[in-house]
Amino acid sequence: MSTEAIPVEKPKRNYNVLFGLTLLALLVLLWILLSVATTSFASANNMANLLRQGSMIAIMAVGQTFVIITGGIDLSVGAVVGFATVVVAMMINAGFPIWLAILVTLLVGVAIGMFHGFGIVKMGLPPFIITLATLTSLRGIGLLMTNGNSININSDTFTAFSRNSFIGIPNLFWMVILVGIPAYIFLHHSRWGRYLFSVGSNAEASRLSGVNVQRTIYMAYTLSGLCAAFVGVLLAARIGIGNPTQAEGWELQAIASSVIGGTSLFGAVGSVHGPLLGAFILATINNGANLLNVNSFWQRIITGALIIIIVYFDGLRRRGK
Amino acid sequence: MTSTAQELHPAPVLEPGRTILELRGLEKRYPGTHALKPVDLAFKSGEIHAIVGENGAGKSTLIKLLTGVMPRTSGEITWEGQPAALATPHEAMALGINAVHQEVVLCRHLTVAANMFLGEENSRFGILQQRAMVRQAQTIIDDLGFDLPAHVTLGDLTIGQQQLIAAARATVRGTKFLIFDEPTAYLTRKEADQLFTLIRRLKGEGVTIIYISHRMEEVFELADRVSVLRDGTLVGTRNIAETNDAELVKMMINRSIEQVYHKEHFTPGAALIEARNLSGKGFENVSMTVRAGEIVGLYGLIGAGRSEFVTTLYGRHRKSAGQILWEGKEVQVNSEHDAIKLGMALAPESRRDQGLCLNLPVGFNLNLPIYKRISNNLLISSTQEKTQADRQIADLRIKTPTRGALASSLSGGNQQKIVIGKWLAHGAKLFIFDEPTVGVDVGTKAEIYRLFGALLSKGAGIILISSYLTEVYELADTLHVFRRGKLVATHGFHAASHEDILTQALAEKQEKLGGQI
Repeated sequence: MSTEAIPVEKPKRNYNVLFGLTLLALLVLLWILLSVATTSFASANNMANLLRQGSMIAIMAVGQTFVIITGGIDLSVGAVVGFATVVVAMMINAGFPIWLAILVTLLVGVAIGMFHGFGIVKMGLPPFIITLATLTSLRGIGLLMTNGNSININSDTFTAFSRNSFIGIPNLFWMVILVGIPAYIFLHHSRWGRYLFSVGSNAEASRLSGVNVQRTIYMAYTLSGLCAAFVGVLLAARIGIGNPTQAEGWELQAIASSVIGGTSLFGAVGSVHGPLLGAFILATINNGANLLNVNSFWQRIITGALIIIIVYFDGLRRRGK
Repeated sequence: MTSTAQELHPAPVLEPGRTILELRGLEKRYPGTHALKPVDLAFKSGEIHAIVGENGAGKSTLIKLLTGVMPRTSGEITWEGQPAALATPHEAMALGINAVHQEVVLCRHLTVAANMFLGEENSRFGILQQRAMVRQAQTIIDDLGFDLPAHVTLGDLTIGQQQLIAAARATVRGTKFLIFDEPTAYLTRKEADQLFTLIRRLKGEGVTIIYISHRMEEVFELADRVSVLRDGTLVGTRNIAETNDAELVKMMINRSIEQVYHKEHFTPGAALIEARNLSGKGFENVSMTVRAGEIVGLYGLIGAGRSEFVTTLYGRHRKSAGQILWEGKEVQVNSEHDAIKLGMALAPESRRDQGLCLNLPVGFNLNLPIYKRISNNLLISSTQEKTQADRQIADLRIKTPTRGALASSLSGGNQQKIVIGKWLAHGAKLFIFDEPTVGVDVGTKAEIYRLFGALLSKGAGIILISSYLTEVYELADTLHVFRRGKLVATHGFHAASHEDILTQALAEKQEKLGGQI
């Protein structure tokens, strides 16, 4: 084929920045509109609440994004959060030091992620299936461990953390920054981040270029499990209980946040800042809907509709290429 | 462009039928590529019209336009005197235009009979008449003289046999215009003969046949007329009786063979890699050596075991027996990673499936094998990332607006340069090129061959796989011929004729091409 006049295409980095700014503008616009439309939205109390709620989804969404970039999906994250609340609550109530309880909970998340990697890489299961299977199994295991009851956490130090703020900003939001900065460096400035993209774009080409595809897949699911377990710790601190049925449907919120943030469900397109903004946009929509007295069932419908619309446009963009 | 051809041949000599399909100013542009420049061409009923051209000349684009797989950018198509949109494959089939592709596009899990009637099943009151269909299919197959059962699963047949079924399928559907796209790439001599018989028979029934092939011998054996494409342009159309091999090649490449297939000879150095009685999936008992400064060519039918052999050297597949020696020492190559560490680089057969991350930037693709080298323990050096990518883009003259443009936006030739270029900074010693010039224009081809010379001069060794005999014939210092997983012959540079090599690649002992009819 002959080569002439290749249409000039904007470098991808610029597009990413532009898209991030658009999301940010959308978030600010929503905040301004809701501040005008309702009296309570801009109150300190509501904003803190919004940040707390959004933070947890945001952290899950970052882990989820790593997985989606490789072309996979992690449906188990909501169940991992619920299961993690149980683990951390039981350990604290059994008298273990808080730091140890948290560490073990995080390791449980890592183990679950490794198991997903094993299922995908070694057993050849589709990500959808293996993570769907752990979704239901983890809820079951959690219910067995607790006999179906909630565990009240008897440590005020632990629960106080989630209620407190540091220089006026809720601690939970600081956790987003704690996760977000290393995640950003990992995804955008390390070679492992590059490998996530290359595997999501073309696993065979990556393998032939010397990328360890299996290790990359293990890594993505492990990080997703780790993020989810971390959110489980935060949630347990926030509600003061361990309950395996908590965080029901959060996997969808995490996926929706990621997708709203520009991650392509077809793989190889995504960022860290996008899903973070996506999570807070979603949290704002839900929060605003509450304040506007919109039936809360509608929020689920809106989330579903958003996913369809955004993935549809993502597909259009891909086919347009 | 055909105006020249028409001037040369004002009155076509061959006039057995009326014009069935006429193209006026047919044109196709992709982003970044002018794949087909305005083409005027008329096909007649009952003719076998060969279309030849180098890889990337626009043959597949033309087929895709004729079969409605892709919309044209501009131009007119007239079918039996009426304008035809040919916007969908369905429309093309309704008119009677069918294609038999090199890769069989049928349902491997269904039976031969089910495939023959796919979409036109014979049913009574909604119930499939399975036995009747098998019977009918068998009658058709027997009638065509193919020795194949209709009740078996298609996937159980060889690719060559599947191809015959695909051809048979096209014939029973009221086909008036049948396109064969490199049909013999997978076929043994016997299967090819059966196919040629079928093609001649269809011609006798007034069907127009478009025959696309790399093999000149087949063109001269079968065709009535031949059209030559080069870089998206129709260079001319000839009656087969009035042209010869040399003229067609000259039309195809527009310069001498030496200019395109620029070959530099170096004195070979020490052995880089040696395979001793190596066996694996798809090949057995292959021994060969590649030395520094030489090109070792592997020729054979698709599926003859060439690609399987090199991917095994490269650690993609496990060997089942034999040894691999790297610079004289036996090594275990258990993964691509091991191979790359030793100093091997593979530019695989399919850019799309194996070579590139298409929806990622050019620079990303170029740096993929060397990210480890251009990062410290944690971070990638963004300056190195930029300079490395820009250097390859400049050195290889990759036509891209920036290193940030997506690989998918580049033309085939430039994409191929990325596939090759990503290994240049890596410092590999052995380069394996599997079909490096598929879908690449003549100019880029010559550049790629020059690059081979540059690599050899730096002491690298090259394994070159090609289904295009001219390519390996003109470039390889040592040429190995593969047939059915075995290495059947080895020749030095220009030491055997094209015909001998073809015969060795196709079958044990068979009459020469063109001997029957």
